[in-house]
Amino acid sequence: MKLSTLLLGLLLLPGLLGAQTYDLLLKGGHVVDPRNGINGPMDVAVTGNKIARVADSINPSDAKKTVDVSGLYVTPGLIDIHVHVYTGTGNKNSYTGDRSVYPDGFTLRSGVTTVVDAGSSGWMNFPDFKDRVIDISKTRVLALLNIVGKGMAGRSDIEQDTSDMDPKATAKRAKEFPDTVVGIKSAHFAGPEWTSVDSAVQAGKLADLPVMIDFGTFQEARPFQELVLDHLRPGDIYTHGYKRQVPYIGEDGMLLPYLAQARKRGIKFDVGHGGGSFSWKNAVPAIRQGFWPDSISTDLHIGSMNAGMKDMTNVMSKILSQGVPLYDVIKMSTSNPAAQIKRTEFGHLSEGAGADIAVLRLDHGHFGLVDAQRARFESTKLLVCEMTIRDGQVAWDLNGRTATDYRKAYGLM
Amino acid sequence: MKTIHLLVALLLTSAVLSADAPYELLLKGGHVLDPKNNLNAVMDVAISDGKIARVAPRIDPIEARQTVDVSGFYVTPGLVDIHTHVYAGTGMRGAYSGDNSVYPDGHSFRAGVTTVVDVGSSGWRNFEDFKDRVIDRQRTRILVMLNIVGKGMGGGPIEQNTDDMDATATAEMAKKYPDTIVGVKTAHFRAPNWIAVDRAVEAGKLADIPVMVDFGSFTDERPFEELVTKRLRPGDMYTHMYLGSVPLLDANGKVRPYLHEARKRGVKFDVGHGGGSFQWKQAIPAIQQGWIPDSISTDLHISSMIRGMKDMTNVMSKILNQGISIYDVVEMSTWNPAQQIKRTEFGHLSVGAVADVAVLGIERGEFGFLDVRNGRFEGDKKITAEMTIHNGRVAWDMNARAGQDWQNLYRIERYQRARARRRSARTR
Repeated sequence: MKLSTLLLGLLLLPGLLGAQTYDLLLKGGHVVDPRNGINGPMDVAVTGNKIARVADSINPSDAKKTVDVSGLYVTPGLIDIHVHVYTGTGNKNSYTGDRSVYPDGFTLRSGVTTVVDAGSSGWMNFPDFKDRVIDISKTRVLALLNIVGKGMAGRSDIEQDTSDMDPKATAKRAKEFPDTVVGIKSAHFAGPEWTSVDSAVQAGKLADLPVMIDFGTFQEARPFQELVLDHLRPGDIYTHGYKRQVPYIGEDGMLLPYLAQARKRGIKFDVGHGGGSFSWKNAVPAIRQGFWPDSISTDLHIGSMNAGMKDMTNVMSKILSQGVPLYDVIKMSTSNPAAQIKRTEFGHLSEGAGADIAVLRLDHGHFGLVDAQRARFESTKLLVCEMTIRDGQVAWDLNGRTATDYRKAYGLM
Repeated sequence: MKTIHLLVALLLTSAVLSADAPYELLLKGGHVLDPKNNLNAVMDVAISDGKIARVAPRIDPIEARQTVDVSGFYVTPGLVDIHTHVYAGTGMRGAYSGDNSVYPDGHSFRAGVTTVVDVGSSGWRNFEDFKDRVIDRQRTRILVMLNIVGKGMGGGPIEQNTDDMDATATAEMAKKYPDTIVGVKTAHFRAPNWIAVDRAVEAGKLADIPVMVDFGSFTDERPFEELVTKRLRPGDMYTHMYLGSVPLLDANGKVRPYLHEARKRGVKFDVGHGGGSFQWKQAIPAIQQGWIPDSISTDLHISSMIRGMKDMTNVMSKILNQGISIYDVVEMSTWNPAQQIKRTEFGHLSVGAVADVAVLGIERGEFGFLDVRNGRFEGDKKITAEMTIHNGRVAWDMNARAGQDWQNLYRIERYQRARARRRSARTR
């Protein structure tokens, strides 16, 4: 007995000596925290549900638990500002139902800690969405309200009904839930007029929130150029950035000048990959000519999850495959989207910030990345999520890095 | 112009030339593992009309409209996961007939699974709601074991109510939906009597279908040994076989003899990993002594999906890393479970069978595998799902093997547009 007591004492010694200020220490990783301009080897300590310290070297004896993350990237928890997660209503063929998914099975395993549902619900059914999904998810779920009161119901008699696009009611609901509602969405509009876009912008003005646009049917009666040059305000977001219908390249093979102009005005371009909205035909020449996304997002739903989109790290890998540096890819997936939705408390690893962290691995090999037309781009890099910390808790741990060797765990060695 | 035509013709060759070919899809060069048919060799697999059309050492690509190179991968029957919880969307909190369940499509195909069995999330009272809400709407083939509790896995006292364990009503519902209902489940029962198990077996007898048991609380009054050596019938299943509470090893660390006796009787032992039912402490010594699973299953639900379980290929990898061959691991994940649920039309690649196919890779490296107590086992192999074909259609394609190179695709489109323009110019 004496011997085992002594042994136990020795095992506990490092812990007993230190003050153990920190609950969890991620040691030896390469921290990428664009908001704080950090891009180098650093340790990250977590206490409770907050980031406690980020420094060159933090002593493991100061932490209750130390996890070796050398060879891996430590980044803020990823923010995916375009998803559809209003499920469980029983509505068929609808993003207010069967076409949406519960977020937790998709987010945490790919480093995502915050998602923004982009217009699945409108002002009428947002409270139901909140009760049914937002309040029970481990993932932080924020929302853009659809300008259509009944949300993305799928049926054209609902989503195309301009009489149900009420900026006042929408803004009122947004102000009622300022912690959760971060913007207004217009989507799927098929009419030749600007009603849907303009009503969304009107609601955005009333609630002082940004607007995100899915432009629906592209048509001559309302040119895309006019959307991003005239109708949207600085800070508003166009999603489905590399959709094939977006006019990108002129006859001369060069990027059309209106795009740079729109960006200069402050319009943000978001990826919003989805099932049909990412085409290599646009993405490759655009990115190579410097038209990078402001934010990377998935447009997660039942049609995208098993197709070319797959998950957040897969979409990030696509942008990475075009030569965009990892630092910028992380920025597009953390601090940039946080700023776009005006929730700058997220998307960084500042001391005192909520402890939402992703630990990513960059695999090298041969990978096929597929767009919405099932066209394959062959890449040599793929981002993989090793660990996700959500609100200070380990929410995903691919290789059991935070765990104990089973022989130790069961006292077998 | 001639050269351009030639170039385009060359580009189109693989995709279009064989438009009249007998097969829709040809998986070429893979290593076929099909335990039902004793296949364990490099072979080609052809698919047509949603069915397996041919499996042979060499099938000419000219006979197929699309050929996908799967050399370096294993081609197996679509995986059959006989323990999942997918009755989501009812809004019931803290219940497997609600918020603890998940929709299967986001978890199945990306892990090679084409068929799942929901085990007892619903009972005879709410099965039809489950069918309408989930089974009829998801792409994954969903089969069901009815809970012996009429209200299914409603959580709390609902699942302990022996008055709602009606063998006759359960069997009647099972017989009404023979295409979907493949068994009866008892789970989570805490009382020190045999009512839950016995009623489930009675329902199983009435409907002539097997029973799967989650033993709930392990109590002295109803010993586990009695469950598997006496109460269950041959063909019935015990799930959670490597759960910490199962009396598996004796004081000397040897697998207890009654377990072999139970297996000899015909009782089947299923993994059912879940959030709390797989411990290395049990699994490693047991497998080393030959106490291997009859079937591998996940017990997919909201907490297992992001913890040690993760997905079907991860659970299979855990068994593989204990020294079991990939052939046997695939058998435990296809043909064995299909036989256990008496649905022998699934789980194999016989000509004429439904074209459910998994293309699996084995990665080599250093991997950590977590059990439910945060114990890590370090393995050097990991199974990954490269492609999944369901009913003859590509349902998952990790590296876009069935896709086309983007430049080729858009070159073809440009050519087609140009040709259309020339034609319309001529007509004008």
